[in-house]
Amino acid sequence: MKLRRTLAGPLGAIILLVVLMSLAMIVAGTSPLDGFAALFQGALGGTSQIGETLVATSALLFPALGIALAFRGGLFNIGAEGQLLIGALFAGAVGAQLHLPGWLGMIVLLALGALGGGLWGAIAGWMKARFNANEIIATLMLNFVAAYLSLALVNGPLRGPLATGAETAWLDQRYWLPTLLPGSRLSIGILVALAFALVLYWVFTRTVFGYKLRAAGDAPEAARRAGIDIGRITWISLALSGAIAGVGGATIVTGELHRFNTQLSPGYGFIGIAVALVGDLQPLWICLAAFGFGILEAGGLAMQASAQVPKDAIHVIEGLIILVLAARRYVAARTETAAV
Amino acid sequence: MIARPALTLRGIRKSYPGVVAVDDVDLDLYPGEIHALVGENGAGKSTLSAIAFGETRADAGSVEASGTVGLVHQHFELVGRLRVWENVLLGREPRRGWRIDETAAHERVRAVAERNGLAIDPDALVEGLPIGVQQRVELLRELDREPSVLLLDEPTAALAPAEIAAFFATVQRLAQRGTAVMIVTHKLQEVIAYATRVSVMRHGTIVARMETATTSVDAIARAMVGGDLPGVAAREATQPTPCLTIEALCAGAGETRIEGLHLEVRAGEIVGIAGVEGNGQSTLADAVAGMIGYDGRIAFAHPRATLGVIPQDRQREALVMPWSIVENVVLGRQDRPGIRRGVVIDRAHALADAQRIKERFDVRTPSLDVPVRTLSGGNQQKVVVGRALIDSPDVVLAYNPTRGIDVGAAALVQSRLMEARNRGAAVLLISFELDEILALADRIAVMYRGAIVGDFERSNVDRAAIGRLMAGLSNA
Repeated sequence: MKLRRTLAGPLGAIILLVVLMSLAMIVAGTSPLDGFAALFQGALGGTSQIGETLVATSALLFPALGIALAFRGGLFNIGAEGQLLIGALFAGAVGAQLHLPGWLGMIVLLALGALGGGLWGAIAGWMKARFNANEIIATLMLNFVAAYLSLALVNGPLRGPLATGAETAWLDQRYWLPTLLPGSRLSIGILVALAFALVLYWVFTRTVFGYKLRAAGDAPEAARRAGIDIGRITWISLALSGAIAGVGGATIVTGELHRFNTQLSPGYGFIGIAVALVGDLQPLWICLAAFGFGILEAGGLAMQASAQVPKDAIHVIEGLIILVLAARRYVAARTETAAV
Repeated sequence: MIARPALTLRGIRKSYPGVVAVDDVDLDLYPGEIHALVGENGAGKSTLSAIAFGETRADAGSVEASGTVGLVHQHFELVGRLRVWENVLLGREPRRGWRIDETAAHERVRAVAERNGLAIDPDALVEGLPIGVQQRVELLRELDREPSVLLLDEPTAALAPAEIAAFFATVQRLAQRGTAVMIVTHKLQEVIAYATRVSVMRHGTIVARMETATTSVDAIARAMVGGDLPGVAAREATQPTPCLTIEALCAGAGETRIEGLHLEVRAGEIVGIAGVEGNGQSTLADAVAGMIGYDGRIAFAHPRATLGVIPQDRQREALVMPWSIVENVVLGRQDRPGIRRGVVIDRAHALADAQRIKERFDVRTPSLDVPVRTLSGGNQQKVVVGRALIDSPDVVLAYNPTRGIDVGAAALVQSRLMEARNRGAAVLLISFELDEILALADRIAVMYRGAIVGDFERSNVDRAAIGRLMAGLSNA
């Protein structure tokens, strides 16, 4: 029964995804078989391809885990994109000026990512807890603030002396995260992401904080009467949510790009919502979901080249998946209340 | 009973996934009788009355009525912002052209009210009316359709004793004029006092049919539970010492505001708050539980006193419905030593607590890991009460602890409250069931419009005086 419930959402989503993508390929005049072959070839066909898939997996996993944390607490954080960007900005801005031993520098830069993203999440949390501002609007709007703030800064004081675009100076090589898969761009950042997933699993299932968080999300009135400070849970969970996304931003800077660039995320923070939902908000399932979406991200380009299906079609389909899953959760929540 | 029945049910059967709600039931209602349908929760009463009304379709069997059938729901279905006459005639308004003929409508409502001896102002806004009057509106709406059969689902659940008497006077007049009345209820005293016949349901079938003239509350109760009633634990001698003191309490707003309330609850006694719902009881409970701000003083005898709370709405305020019993047993205790170990929850401890509650409260469940949502209301309440009492709190705040649960579960919950008192807890019992308060309380305080208007020791309880105070009549 439980297995069925767990699989109904994610499995249904995958089937839906395959059907929609097949339709898109047929419309584009390609046989789905060729299209999917191109997709998987592009995603898993060689060391560098696998590396790219896992780079995307890692980049999606951080914001998805952060979103799951907020969601479990009953908060819809759609500001992971901005939180990730600010985390990356902190790491990039400081990283370009840093004078520390390499390993210590890496830790400091990742911690700065957590600080930046956490700060960005905490602002929305504070607005919600203090003024009862809607967290969806607050986190969404802070995305724009983050985007334009970082753009202004890297076009101004933070712009690297030799930069050709809107970006900071490069990090000293000793702060680059070590490569995990030789022959690819994949850094050990993905191990950090997996460690976060494990820690989060432990937090949800074992800790008092996780317990309070889930109570606040599943039954706010009962939680309040159980002496749980909902306002505190609200801002802490949004801050932590942002911090996890921010670390993700910092790993992109230290692991792959080695500088901050305003174009560093093609929307990881938004696709992360789908990843979190497909993963049923369970950290370990989310790892699997992130890998699936990583394949789409990395294989999409190859598919576009050989099967003439535009890569953007994949994003359209991902958007549909978000809608379907969000609606499903909403309906489930409604029937739950109705049954009571 | 020589007359032809007004409503005949034959071989009614209805099942829902996993349960047979009604199983091969025959029932006749005769013109002029008041027929009580009683049974524990889940016995099938509501399903049967919904089938009789035609709201639910039976899987098998036949329903024959000699005229229209009316049903008054337990939860009123009124439009608060409309006037009385608008509610009574909703959907059946007399028209003049495309407009409502207000004069005719007024006349019609006045006539129906007069014919049935119900005093009411047709122009009053429903939302401002007391519960008892709202019920009259609900009743009028059905009476306007001149039903030959009238079904009443828990009609007195929200009424004060004086309103109950007036309500049954109306019902008896209706019956005398030839209406067949069926009352679904769990108040057995009312069954004996007002009904002519009673049918007892258990597990979807009618297990006993009795004339109320020749039976007793006890006999009906035994038929309901299918055996002897579990007794409530005995009241032991205690030495009451001050424990919880409430002085000049002001809190809340509007109808349920409390103004200058004084109350003392001593260790080793149960203080019962009697009153009709909506007179500030929930404000008092919220203030004592620390859920709302207040002026005045709420003081415990010693600063480290612990409080066990049984909230009024178990599904919204006390439980996380999708969670397991074990997880719910932790709720509210998540920071207590023993449950909390460092940053983690001691799951072995939580499991042991859940096991203890299951045994002490006879929680019927296939496993402690099932979501509490799947438990019956009675078993959910046992979990809530068990959790409130498991740490032996100094003060217990119980808000309608047996509301909507069956007789057996209620007796068990009441016993555990009595035992908590016996071991020296101060118990503040807020209940809308006067019988429950009379059975449990050492002292009774009557609450009306946010203040304590009367105070009785167990030794000199005057039921009639309490009833008058509850209805807002000064102690005349």
